[in-house]
Amino acid sequence: MLAAAQAGDADAYRAFLTAATPFVRALARRRVAGAAAAEDVVQDVLLTVHRIRHTYEPGRPVEPWLAAITARRAIDALRRSDRSGARETHHPIAYETYADPAANEKETIVETEALGRLIETLPPGQREALELVKLKQMSLAEASAVSGQSVGSLKVNVHRAIKRLRLAIMKDGKGHDRATD
Amino acid sequence: MTARLTDTLIDLLSANVAPVRPLRSPMRRALETLALLAALGALAILLLPDSNPIAVRGAGEKVQAGMEMAAMFATGTLAVVGAFHLSIAGRSRRWLALPLLPFAAWLMLSGVGCYRDFIQRGSAGLELGHSADCLIFILGASLLLGAPLIWRLSRAAPIDPLPVAALGGLGAAAFSAFLLQFFHPFVVTFLDLVVHLVAIAIVIGLTALLKRPILRPA
Repeated sequence: MLAAAQAGDADAYRAFLTAATPFVRALARRRVAGAAAAEDVVQDVLLTVHRIRHTYEPGRPVEPWLAAITARRAIDALRRSDRSGARETHHPIAYETYADPAANEKETIVETEALGRLIETLPPGQREALELVKLKQMSLAEASAVSGQSVGSLKVNVHRAIKRLRLAIMKDGKGHDRATD
Repeated sequence: MTARLTDTLIDLLSANVAPVRPLRSPMRRALETLALLAALGALAILLLPDSNPIAVRGAGEKVQAGMEMAAMFATGTLAVVGAFHLSIAGRSRRWLALPLLPFAAWLMLSGVGCYRDFIQRGSAGLELGHSADCLIFILGASLLLGAPLIWRLSRAAPIDPLPVAALGGLGAAAFSAFLLQFFHPFVVTFLDLVVHLVAIAIVIGLTALLKRPILRPA
């Protein structure tokens, strides 16, 4: 499948990535703690596979190739986590607006859902740019490789997406204020 | 990030897959690079002044010099072969050990040569010869031979660049030391040997230090 993907076969590539993901996920979970951190490693591995798919030698077993990439990305994740752990202190109360934790949690869920719905209404180019650059925190170069948009287009689309979201939230907030008056 | 985003990422990646030309096998790429380095070395011997294609250090030491040069050549060749294999994800770490035997033989033969010279010439065998020139030569030749080598290694965007850089540096330095013999028709003293080793260590150290900008790992 990967050999076919090297020739540009999108279906074969999708099938390969889909089939490889559980294998990569299992390896990642053995190396990093936490499902979310392991999923980050899986996504890093998929991006790396995309970048170096030309180095796979057709006819050779693909598992050692994938396992080595996963091991390296897991080490990178652990190093990043060590670095941020050494410099940052987690202070959960700092994120709270209200003394009652339940109030904060409820509001977060509601706002996240509302934001998710607003993101869905964005034009496809803006939504893709926002998801790659802001939500998945890819570099502009990586996002450009994935999306096919130029770096300039990505910057413009992210800017427009945030502006559109801000306007939508403000409009929504005014409506909400009027409704509660 | 969630599994849903992973699925989205797979959709995005597969929707944007462009055809790529797979790299040829590491062995074939190593042999092509070795041919290129041989051509560059031959050109340097033919074009640079003060070279002597049949230079031999010290009268009556032809066998010793020949064995040393063979060990240097084998070190360079095996280091380059190992570096190309290690540049591909999933290849065994044992490729790192490939040049160690000829490298050890090279150091041992050079040491024996220096010791023999010290026995024959006494304290003169400890003097500094043309060491500064040797240092500059090895560093300069390593740059000349190392640039195309590193460029070809970087095509694989090695995910673990350190062993690739170390073997690449050793390969370039060993071939530079080999090339030096054609410009070095005099006896190597202990101090000269130390300077040669320092030059090799500098080349390997610099390559390892600059591994990210020069090898552009994925």
